[in-house]
Amino acid sequence: MLSIGGRKSPLIWAVHLSVLLLVVIWTIPTAGLFITSFRTADQISVSGWWTALSSSERNAVARTPDASTAKEVNGKYVVTGNVLQSGGSVAKFGWSSLHPTQYDVGQVAQLRDGTTLTVAKDGTYQWANDKPFSGTRRIFFTAKTPPSFTLDNYVHVLTANGMLRAFINSLTVAVPATVIPILIAAYAAFALAWMQFPGRSLLIAIVVGLLVVPLQMSLIPLLTLYNAIGHATVVPDSSLMGHVLTISGLGLHSDDGKMIGINPKSYLGIWLAHTGFGLPLAIYLLRNYMVGLPREIIESSRVDGATDFQIFRKIILPLSFPALASFAIFQFLWTWNDLLVATVFLSHQQDSLVMTGKLKDLLGSHGGDWEILAASAFISISVPLLVFFALQKYLVRGLLAGSVK
Amino acid sequence: MFSKLLSAVAGLALMAGAASGADLVFKPGAQPDRFHWDSYTQFAKDHANLKGQTLTIFGPWRGQDQTLFENVLAYFEQATGVTVKYSSSENYEQQMVIDTQAGSPPNIGVLPQPGLIQDLASKGFIKPLPDTTKDWLLKNYAAGPSWVTLSTYKDKDGKDKLMAFPFKIDLKSLVWYSPGNFKDAGYTVPKTFEDLQALTKKIVADGGTPWCIGLGSGGATGWPATDWVEDILLRQQPASVYDGWVNNTVKFNDPRIVEAIKTFGWFAKNDKYVAGGTKAVATTDFRDSPKGLFTSPPKCYMHKQASFIPTFFPKGTQLGPNKDADFFYFPPYASKPDLGRPVEGAGTLFFITKDNPAADAFMEFLKTPIASEVWMAQSGFLTPYKGVHLSAYANDVMRKEGEILLNGTTFRFDGSDLMPGKIGAGVFWTGMVDYVGGKSAQDVADNIQKTWDSLKK
Amino acid sequence: MLQQLLTAAITIGIGIAAAFAYFYGSNILIDRMFPGSVPGDRGTRNIRIASAIRPWLFLFPAIFALTLYLVYPVIDSIWLSFHGPSGVKWVGLKNYIWFANNGTIHEALFNNFLWLLVVPAASTFFGLIVAALTDRIFWGNIAKSLIFMPMAISFVGATVIWKFVYDYRGPGQTQIGLLNAVVTWFGGSPQAWITLPFWNNFFLMVILIWIQTGFAMVILSAALRGIPEETIEAAVLDGANGLQIFFRIMVPQIWATIAVVWTTITITVLKVFDIVYAMTNGQWNTDVLANEMYTWMFEGGGDFGRGATIALIIMLLVVPIMVWNIRNANREMGGH
Repeated sequence: MLSIGGRKSPLIWAVHLSVLLLVVIWTIPTAGLFITSFRTADQISVSGWWTALSSSERNAVARTPDASTAKEVNGKYVVTGNVLQSGGSVAKFGWSSLHPTQYDVGQVAQLRDGTTLTVAKDGTYQWANDKPFSGTRRIFFTAKTPPSFTLDNYVHVLTANGMLRAFINSLTVAVPATVIPILIAAYAAFALAWMQFPGRSLLIAIVVGLLVVPLQMSLIPLLTLYNAIGHATVVPDSSLMGHVLTISGLGLHSDDGKMIGINPKSYLGIWLAHTGFGLPLAIYLLRNYMVGLPREIIESSRVDGATDFQIFRKIILPLSFPALASFAIFQFLWTWNDLLVATVFLSHQQDSLVMTGKLKDLLGSHGGDWEILAASAFISISVPLLVFFALQKYLVRGLLAGSVK
Repeated sequence: MFSKLLSAVAGLALMAGAASGADLVFKPGAQPDRFHWDSYTQFAKDHANLKGQTLTIFGPWRGQDQTLFENVLAYFEQATGVTVKYSSSENYEQQMVIDTQAGSPPNIGVLPQPGLIQDLASKGFIKPLPDTTKDWLLKNYAAGPSWVTLSTYKDKDGKDKLMAFPFKIDLKSLVWYSPGNFKDAGYTVPKTFEDLQALTKKIVADGGTPWCIGLGSGGATGWPATDWVEDILLRQQPASVYDGWVNNTVKFNDPRIVEAIKTFGWFAKNDKYVAGGTKAVATTDFRDSPKGLFTSPPKCYMHKQASFIPTFFPKGTQLGPNKDADFFYFPPYASKPDLGRPVEGAGTLFFITKDNPAADAFMEFLKTPIASEVWMAQSGFLTPYKGVHLSAYANDVMRKEGEILLNGTTFRFDGSDLMPGKIGAGVFWTGMVDYVGGKSAQDVADNIQKTWDSLKK
Repeated sequence: MLQQLLTAAITIGIGIAAAFAYFYGSNILIDRMFPGSVPGDRGTRNIRIASAIRPWLFLFPAIFALTLYLVYPVIDSIWLSFHGPSGVKWVGLKNYIWFANNGTIHEALFNNFLWLLVVPAASTFFGLIVAALTDRIFWGNIAKSLIFMPMAISFVGATVIWKFVYDYRGPGQTQIGLLNAVVTWFGGSPQAWITLPFWNNFFLMVILIWIQTGFAMVILSAALRGIPEETIEAAVLDGANGLQIFFRIMVPQIWATIAVVWTTITITVLKVFDIVYAMTNGQWNTDVLANEMYTWMFEGGGDFGRGATIALIIMLLVVPIMVWNIRNANREMGGH
């Protein structure tokens, strides 16, 4: 395939350019978020993220310390300081919000209360009076400041109490919630694609129909069911199995530690929930892929006396790797990024929070901490991206090349 | 690599261990002029038999607020030996609905929406509080009867019962401004609604922009406008009209209500009166909106918002007279002196969704002055409780807010929270956005009333 | 903390092992019970029995999970849709009548129709383009990863991203939204994009297209890789150019997969509410059915009756797609 483009260089250039264009369009919004994640809340709300890359001119306000701290210099009482916190240069300044750019740097401004104010280009200011005075004053200035970035947002998120625990919880939810549905769906898809039994097309139709069931619709009936099971089931306390399940967090115990039932909010519950919700798409995608596999291979194995189970394991499964891998990627990132199912089916107590929940917790009650949101987004994206990179090689292995009819 | 991981893990475990031995933020016995420590020791003595119990609380506070609340909880834990597990979620309302409906509620729920609490109560999910609590509220909260009304809900059989305990109040009737900017321009704080309108015009005449109004709030876009309308209504009409309005005995498209909406429009629907013009009102995020007060030159001079808003002021903004930001009381009409000084507020209500002795004890704990004072002293907490030391407030601004709450002649809870969810947290919001977007007040009000009618089935 | 790590590992292990154990165990069991290796009629009969049972063995966990997690809630919803807000009082067809006569719902239906028309088509188209083009260039994998990024980013992140694209500040003020910054840079006046009637729907659709293209790309890319080299080489020898190969050879070969991607995204469009919910909550005439369902179901105490009704109507909308898929499936398997 690679040879096609290579033969015609104008075409390959067109390909390069159009891919580049698409990639740029697709990446710019994310890049914006990435840059935003290195800015402070105040920067974010007053200027666009693209301005962060170059030095920019902006109007700002600084406040002097109280004048009672003024030092006496040559008979004058002077308050000094610097309006700039991280370098740059001041162009203009003023003392009133009505005329924030009234004076050029170096000029001495005469204020209404008899004091004088001057700001130098490097941002140092002198606020002086003939006699001791008090109060503070705002200094308005226009400054060109170099780009400034901060790691504070990331530090804030990563060092939050319980973040590591939330990370482990997320993995505990996401890994089985990815593997289990794939396994179940692969068998079901094989049955629906290559095995004969009555009611097959009806089942396929039902699977397609179930794709559209909104998750939200299932939450309350399911949690009610879980609770009902939790209250009704009696599991013998002394059984070894029960003990193992308890320590491993599967949740076959009640709040007070006695083995009287299934805790409705447990890992087992959430895995099965994710499995249920992910299955229709998994079966649909995998069946569609498997049905396209070369019939000859399967038929000839059947003739050779292989059982369906052997055919599935030895032929279908290896050949379906690209489809399995692509579904795995999606299922993993859905379960990883999920908050709704986790808050409903896992308890929202601190020690069982998943990462999405923990990140949300860092925001104030009124939300809108864009800088935290931005940093969180990039911290939580890292794991799904790793999975994508890890599985991408299976997408391109081209296992089928040459074998399809 | 693995050993590195191990040591990192061990380090984190140590840190976690240190944090879980939560110290009390204010040492019992310290600053006796700010804290009623006797109420704490008495409570501990009365509830010594709860050791080892667990109490789950689900509420709206996350982030910083969560820490403040957990610091209060620490006193309860210390006094009783009960382990309290507090949790929250971004969609706490939805979570509350799901958990109660599915039969796995927390012991105590905390919600800021009376409308939603009514819903839960009428489905039988809330346990009524004892009569002593009612008497306690009447006696100890300023404007006691209005708090009892707020906490009384119909149960499954339609009977009125006291179901919730109001704790932590937010004040809505505030206008924030920058004292420095007012001084530079020579403006003074308006004492009457007429003055406020005159000041608005004067600022425009001087070439400035008077207001920053932002209604944006994601899925909840529009709610800040409902506060405006409610506050205006309380200043134009007697509280009885307000009460009728929230339970729809006064129709939403009643001329008196439409008039209040139009008065809000007087401010918000004039391109010269609002920063960025009317078009920016609906789309500006309410959290970004107040920042216009502090830009150079200022984008606006005033911002009407509840007492929580300083969280969203630029970092380092100092509160207080002669500092970076201060507030004044959203003034009443001089022409309607008989309406007094109405105060609009909001707040959170605690209620029991799964009974246990620890939950009952916690409701009692909320009545101790110390529970309020610990939160007051940490900031972000106002109370109408007459039995607390005002000196417990963390700063002057909060004390001033607390005094407004104690001195208000009429207190009314945020009306949109009292209305059915579909109205107060639905078409009222969207209606206000439509109104700012150009629809007429009458059309908007008619439409809201129509939805309200459709709910009464 | 270490114990927690260990617990997590054990938990994960048990969960996955149990799933594997079922399939191995049950298949070995069936092979033991009905050994095909037995000579004579009994062997044949055993094979026949085993192959009659085995599909259901393979399907059982899936059917079980689907029934519990999806079919049961659907039945529950049908029941709820005939009941009042708290699911107790029987109201007959009232919820459906309300649905048919509600102006907001009509608007949502119209918007849904727009979404269904635009989003699946655009996502599949871009996904196909990217999948096909990146095959031919050396930095294809990097390009794919970048296009995939939006899919992997959490929804929270995505809303913040688009806030910084569509943000609006008044004329003359510093724009922090990228789109308005571009417009004002070219001398235009800033627009409050998400409030522009009609067009705002498309601005919201862009977000979903941006996300779903990564999905389409991954699936289609796997399918393209499955096209045998020889087929294409033969076409090259026949003198076909790149475009011809793409349209005449590659697209027909993966047609079934394109249909799958299209179907999946169509269904996603019907279900997705978070974009609309977070950006506008249906204001400025941007409502869609899924958002209506969500708000009726959970907001302000919830009206389960109406919520369920809307959910069921959404499901009805998918019936044509179901029928089409059955017909497809029957055709594919016609040879069996």
